[in-house]
Amino acid sequence: MSYFDNKVPPKREDRLNAVIAHQDSICGLARKGKGGKSCLIDDGERGFTQGTICLLLPALAMLNSLPDNVVLLHSALGCGSCTHSQNANVRMGSNARRGKAQDGIWLSTALDETDVISGGEDKLERAIIEADRRYRPASITIVAGCVPGIIGDDIDGVAQRLQPQVSAKLLPVHCEGFKTKIWATAYDAVYHTIGRNLLEEKGVTEHTPQDELEVLREQERLARTVNLMNVSSMGRVDEQELERLLVSLGLEVNVFPVFAHPDSFVKATRAALSISTCPTHDDYFLGYLEERFNVPSIIKHMPIGIENTSLWLRDVAARFGFEGQAERLIAAEEAELKEALEEFRPLFQGKKVFVSAGEFRALATARLLQEIGLEVVGIRSFHHDHFAEVEYEKLAREAKTDYVVDIANVQPFEEANLLNRLKPDLFLGHANGNMTASKLGIPTHVIYNTGLAYIGYRGVYELARRLHRQLLNPAYNRNLAENLRLPYSDAWYQAEPFSYLNTRGRSVNE
Amino acid sequence: MSENFVERARYLCSLGGAAATVTALPGGIPILHSASGCAGNFAWTQNGGSGLQVGGYCGGLTVPSSNIQETEVVFGGEDRLREEITSTLKVMQGGLYVVLTGCVPEVIGDDIFAVVNDFREEGVPIIGAVTGGFRGDSYWGYDLVLQALTKDYVAKGSAKVKGRVNLWGVVPYMDPFWRGNLEGARHLLELLGLEVNSFFTPADTLEGIRAAGSAELNIVLSDLYGQGAAALFREKHGTPFVTTSLPIGVSASEAFLRQVGAALELDPELVQRVIDREKRHYYQILEPLTDCYNDLDLQRYAVVVGDANYAVALTRFLADDLGWLPVLTVVTDRIHENGQPAIAARVEHLASGFSTNVVFESDASQVLGHLNQVWPRAAGQKYYNAFSPAFVLGSSLDRELALQIGAPHLSVSFPVANRAVLDRGYTGFRGGLRLAEDVFGQIVANR
Repeated sequence: MSYFDNKVPPKREDRLNAVIAHQDSICGLARKGKGGKSCLIDDGERGFTQGTICLLLPALAMLNSLPDNVVLLHSALGCGSCTHSQNANVRMGSNARRGKAQDGIWLSTALDETDVISGGEDKLERAIIEADRRYRPASITIVAGCVPGIIGDDIDGVAQRLQPQVSAKLLPVHCEGFKTKIWATAYDAVYHTIGRNLLEEKGVTEHTPQDELEVLREQERLARTVNLMNVSSMGRVDEQELERLLVSLGLEVNVFPVFAHPDSFVKATRAALSISTCPTHDDYFLGYLEERFNVPSIIKHMPIGIENTSLWLRDVAARFGFEGQAERLIAAEEAELKEALEEFRPLFQGKKVFVSAGEFRALATARLLQEIGLEVVGIRSFHHDHFAEVEYEKLAREAKTDYVVDIANVQPFEEANLLNRLKPDLFLGHANGNMTASKLGIPTHVIYNTGLAYIGYRGVYELARRLHRQLLNPAYNRNLAENLRLPYSDAWYQAEPFSYLNTRGRSVNE
Repeated sequence: MSENFVERARYLCSLGGAAATVTALPGGIPILHSASGCAGNFAWTQNGGSGLQVGGYCGGLTVPSSNIQETEVVFGGEDRLREEITSTLKVMQGGLYVVLTGCVPEVIGDDIFAVVNDFREEGVPIIGAVTGGFRGDSYWGYDLVLQALTKDYVAKGSAKVKGRVNLWGVVPYMDPFWRGNLEGARHLLELLGLEVNSFFTPADTLEGIRAAGSAELNIVLSDLYGQGAAALFREKHGTPFVTTSLPIGVSASEAFLRQVGAALELDPELVQRVIDREKRHYYQILEPLTDCYNDLDLQRYAVVVGDANYAVALTRFLADDLGWLPVLTVVTDRIHENGQPAIAARVEHLASGFSTNVVFESDASQVLGHLNQVWPRAAGQKYYNAFSPAFVLGSSLDRELALQIGAPHLSVSFPVANRAVLDRGYTGFRGGLRLAEDVFGQIVANR
């Protein structure tokens, strides 16, 4: 039985033994990976925690991007208000792809005290019917937050009951935040509903070419069509860079699923190969595409940095027997890029950098930073699972000395303590995650922003160019540090950075 | 307005508003007793709606949070909260800690006060507020924090001090111009010689807030926000309150000064002197705009879309100060029918004699429909009195409407995604000048 036969996907702590609370070092994690055991790290618990995000946020980042889709949050009023910032990405992304800045449409059933007591299913039913009539969307994603998860509303049952009455495809998505601490489960939640609802042909079959030659051409085209799995943290400019590389190998590219039209998802089942750009993102779905539709996939390496981009490209080329062509492309691209980077190297030389983001992105970016001449002195990954083992090995191989790896779902208090000790010259952090380093006066740069280039060979150059710019004048952060303080006590800076790791439950019992 | 959903809600939940309010207090440290994602949701929301302001001393992803999981849902979360508070007191340096609850612990029945009171008894400056998201919106969350301060932080039995007032009704971060608006209103009151406790400006302190019971009057710049707390404050500390609209611009500021002067029985001559001086100043500055106002024909029809504070204050400013024609005023809060007449009455009898049409509508996509009701579309006739030239004064969600009717647009009410706001404010006489600058600036942007 497939996971996709269940209403709800498994959480990643169960499916992948993913962890969010762990202290280690780059060599430590690389060694565990070599022995094939790093997935057996026991997850810890912190006795002090700061707010973070839940799976609802990354799930909405994907769902809000879908054209012609209405997001209907079934929860209390505030869940999903994060869309106010994601909407900027929706506008920018739709402008880059379709030439028009378009706002997303998101709704909330705004469950109140009465609903908490008597259940919210009736309200949800009425909301679906009204949303279908008012907006006439291709799909309505029904996203459950914490409250329906506790009071027991059955969003799948409601969707099934109502589907015959509405023209939009109804897509239930489970995002009950308290149920998983690994918010990468978000990707599984979204892919789960895609897999269950959008991969079958609709009633009307597409035009089938009758002409024999046309049939052959179509077969030939599909034989070299690849699914390029994008992520919501990736802008159009990054997609274009990867498309450029794949097209120059003679491949056709189906970019999927962020900003793809719900009606077009079925195309993914006909491709010759699926290529992941982030293993944290795609493994659940790519496994299903293989198992159910025989679409093979590559899920290794994130094309960030010189080495990783080349490795990623080689893997793809090998599947189609294009190795020679790929080597020539890689050689030319690398030579051109390395020459262009020379301009920035003197300023990077000897500078120490700390990297913080989702695991794969943080590690791939750290490798890129090594390549352009910076020394990585610390990494904070938001979670850990076995997909990243190979990345720890790559980094450990190039590390001058062993350095700290903090597995922490944000938790800036640990980071403030670590940064105060390590005093890096540069910090790269997740969106809404650079404030701590900024107030400590460290030059900072955001590790993803959909308006900026990060991926492929172009991404290396553009990121280097931006870091160079940050280092040329870090006065903004320096001024902050001289005039503001972070809200941590002096005692905290004196304490060990991992003092609260695995203390949960202790202080109460003492 | 839909009965079944809220479209692109222009507010967070009550926990979101409460957390932002505590962050805005001097030395305030919110401690969320909630699921892990609430803080991130608030940070993302402010990023997209509050004029580029996220958090402050302790906001955004820095706030302590118990991050309760399935285990606590089954066994209860009070022990976890106790642990989180204990750790917070060691790690975080603050002047006032405020425990705020999210949906999950409330649905499972955690009693935060049982925990919070233990710490209070040990002398820790900590209070709690029950703010679960299903209780209401972020404006109500602001009210709930003020209620908690009123009950458990403001010292009881203080003697009233003549000329001392508290200033409420502007909600931090929900009003992206909160800092400037509080300072603008504060400045007006200081012109009358009053000593103002505005809770959230750099001039305010926790000592001042603790002594807020000594105020002889609470001034609430809102028909909605802070009303619950002001009533509770009257009951607990014996301080009466007056409700005013947000005093944006010259006409509203004049009325505001008179209303406060009357409530405090100030010398009418003093009030008149202040008004005369400020108006002289205001018109002296406005004077050189006159040529261009006429030559460029800067009078506009307008649609105003905003929360209960802004919708009426902006309409009044456009009609009474600028001489514009705001024909549709959209109030975006979800206000119970009983509460709607008081808000609508604010713009019923404007000094200019112009009258607008007020609707209560939270959904941005429905505003054009309301405009079509108020101002029928052309039906192919040769001579048609068009809704043009027009202006849309609203939020960044109302850009779509502005595009549809071919009008320039300015974001003022939440969400403000497309402006950077630090301490700009529109209250007071000078605030009116700022708003005039911003509105006219949009019209001539391509000049």
